[in-house]
Amino acid sequence: MANTETALKECLSSIDGATAAALVDYTSGMALGTLGGGKDFNLEVAAAGNTDVVRSKLRTMELLGLKEEIEDILITLNSQYHLIRLLKGRGGNGLFLYLVLDSSRANLAMARHQMRRIENELEV
Amino acid sequence: MTAAAARADGSAPELLDALAADRATGALTTRSGIFYLAAGHVVHVESAHSPALGDLLTRSGALAPAGWWEAVERAGARQRVGRQLVDSGRLTAGALELAHLGALFDAAYFALAHDGTALRFRPGVAHWLGAVRPVTVATVLRESYRRRALLDRIWPDAAVDTAPLARTPDADPAVLPPRRGRALALVDGGRTAAQIASALAHRTFHTLVELRRLAADGLVAPAPPAPAPPVHPVPGAGRADWDEPDTALLRRLLDALEAL
Repeated sequence: MANTETALKECLSSIDGATAAALVDYTSGMALGTLGGGKDFNLEVAAAGNTDVVRSKLRTMELLGLKEEIEDILITLNSQYHLIRLLKGRGGNGLFLYLVLDSSRANLAMARHQMRRIENELEV
Repeated sequence: MTAAAARADGSAPELLDALAADRATGALTTRSGIFYLAAGHVVHVESAHSPALGDLLTRSGALAPAGWWEAVERAGARQRVGRQLVDSGRLTAGALELAHLGALFDAAYFALAHDGTALRFRPGVAHWLGAVRPVTVATVLRESYRRRALLDRIWPDAAVDTAPLARTPDADPAVLPPRRGRALALVDGGRTAAQIASALAHRTFHTLVELRRLAADGLVAPAPPAPAPPVHPVPGAGRADWDEPDTALLRRLLDALEAL
């Protein structure tokens, strides 16, 4: 029964090493909700930019004729992980959850598991 | 809040800014939609060019039509339909917020399109849906401009957004990737982008992106206008679709009745 704000809060509080989270519409690149980030990490910009990542991967898959769906996308930086989880379900089509993790504190397997759970609670 | 109140001549974005600064509550009608404000925030937007929230929720299967109409019946008069849907357990708060925001920004894009002229502000008028998640006027304006820029970058012909669309002779849905093929298959010379989005139960903007891409590839074009029926024009009562402030609502009602 979570709304988007509590879902994002839960991302930051329950996932170890999470520093910022956003819920993004990947057709328009608009962030429907953001939490965390700060002046050295603009989540709106990150949301718009990562939209291009998702879109180009989807297009590549279309061109390759792959029928599968993207579950998540992981980007590994020197000190951070960026995790993009595409939301499934009835109303979630076209949205992704974007999570920034501090790689020294994060447990990737746990983070992916938690994100799946939060997605289900959001029930989009 | 006096200047803009009764009569609202001017550009809709300017008026919205002024109403936001005044923390106004009411409904601002433009040529192609209605903005509902509460305490200077946008709580809902409607446009006949994009599917209504109820259509999105029921056609996507998130909600049974009976459940939607029951909530409208029980809480519509109190302007708490959104709350009623969540409280009765038919919909989670998150699902409602996301569907609502999607519908709001889709409608805002159209309500601000065309010449963006505001026609009338009705102070105190509230929408029957009630507040789901208010957004600032600045966010709505910024997002609408950004969407227009995105679409124009794909294919700079705004007629694709609102005109009935037709396939060009060499367009074949079967050879396209599934998502675009599904959109193209619904282009039949009569449907508009809004009707295609509604049939797909997709948000309108997503459909507009696909349709402008199809237009850019030369597969889809605005249909040539049907031959005008031989009517004798009544002086002063010609094409004044949007001059009547509640035409959008009446059209919705007609669509809903026809869909029953």
